[in-house]
Amino acid sequence: MADKALSYSLADFFFNDSPDVLTPPSDFQSWIENPNVQSAMRFFGQQLLAAPRAGTEVLSSIDGSRRKVINMTSYNYLGLSSHPEVIQAAKDALDRYGLGASGAPLLSGTFDLHVEFARRLAEFKQKEDCLLYSSGLGGNVGAIQGLLRKGDYLVLDEKCHKSLVDGGTLSMAKMLFFSHNDPSSLEAMLEKCKGKRVLVAFEGVYSMDGDLVRLPEILKVCEHYKAATYIDEAHSTLMFGPNGRGVAEHFGLEHEMGVSFGTLSKSFGGVGGFVCSNARIIAYLKGYSSPWNFSCAPSPPVVAGAMKALEVATRDSTLRDALWKNVAYLKKGLLDLKLDLGQSESQVIPIIIGSSGEKLFQFAWEIQKRGLFLQPVDFPAVPADSRRFRISVSSQFTREQMDTALTIIEDVIAKGLRA
Amino acid sequence: MTKEAVIEVIKKNIAANSDDIDAAGIDPQKSMKDYGANSLDMIEVVSTSMRELKIKVPRSELTDINNIDQLADKFLEYVNKGNG
Repeated sequence: MADKALSYSLADFFFNDSPDVLTPPSDFQSWIENPNVQSAMRFFGQQLLAAPRAGTEVLSSIDGSRRKVINMTSYNYLGLSSHPEVIQAAKDALDRYGLGASGAPLLSGTFDLHVEFARRLAEFKQKEDCLLYSSGLGGNVGAIQGLLRKGDYLVLDEKCHKSLVDGGTLSMAKMLFFSHNDPSSLEAMLEKCKGKRVLVAFEGVYSMDGDLVRLPEILKVCEHYKAATYIDEAHSTLMFGPNGRGVAEHFGLEHEMGVSFGTLSKSFGGVGGFVCSNARIIAYLKGYSSPWNFSCAPSPPVVAGAMKALEVATRDSTLRDALWKNVAYLKKGLLDLKLDLGQSESQVIPIIIGSSGEKLFQFAWEIQKRGLFLQPVDFPAVPADSRRFRISVSSQFTREQMDTALTIIEDVIAKGLRA
Repeated sequence: MTKEAVIEVIKKNIAANSDDIDAAGIDPQKSMKDYGANSLDMIEVVSTSMRELKIKVPRSELTDINNIDQLADKFLEYVNKGNG
């Protein structure tokens, strides 16, 4: 294995043959210690030394130095994680409520803040009620696990996030995957579960490709089979739609969505998740969604900050207008460099490199050395033949930062791919 | 080991992973997807089969495999060279 260590990935060590549960697979240790693998792994878990603004500082793992960088990796799409009003709201809540909720929501963890924010989110998403979760992953896991049981079917787009799959696994429902954004494949899957309770899950913006769900076509099939729908708007809330309510609003179909899920960690700039739906099912979920009722309620300063973020992002369209202006500018610049951006239609813009892991990490090293924080995305997170970099565009980017980034991308990636 | 024996191992693990499939009725020219396997089922079948065959094929080499027969060819390649 040593001679082609980079051919292997974390996907190859999932099943552990070691007789001792506390010992990893026998070949995992030699793989992870291989110099080529170590070199690739250096890019992951690098430390940020300041807020995830468009310009930040990292403790670079590639050479151990502190490096000022243009940040094109953080999900801080609207710059709200460090917006002055958001920070002030969080500080005020910290003074009033303290750091943690000190209890599960059903006992002592529900504060007036949680109730007010859930009410505002439900109203924002045009649903009757909302559950707030301490993590986005927990929200998806908890909603799916709370909604489905053994004998039910969860039908997912094959590019759905791991949290939706994990929720399905925990629910014991049978899972079927349809080809990405393909209504005929969805139809074939729904044929297999006729007569059963079925939930169809898809995302507003797919996180590794930046393309949108083909919602009108997908919904038509769901309606034909009377299947319930679940949209994950983690990467689209506050950005898409005339009022920033997401991709469902963008298509004018938000009232047709059975469940609307969102995170507080991306455009909101905090951490957490929320699930909006009809009031009766939300009341039911409170009894059966473990990441909600068996977890401490979200931290009050985070809730207050995210609630202010909702207000700032929706009082007018300034932030999302700035975002889309930056998306258009960067995308044009990247297309002028003849780079493969896949089918991106959003602020998530992949730069697809191809199958070479060596090139991916060589480019990643050069890019960071030049002062651009743009992380590589390797197999198995993406297919082995489309390893990539993934740009998260922010409304905070200045023209100068984007021009500098484009120059670095041209010098390292565009020229490197032609070499 | 023959290719037929490798196919039998795969078929056995597909059947073991599903409530309603009989190993004898599995056609190697079809994909696991044709038998209702989702991507998690496929990981399970591939992993248990590789464990039984005492081989380790990188997942990145399995992305272009379209059916059970092609999977058996890839497994056999590693069986014959004595693992990865």
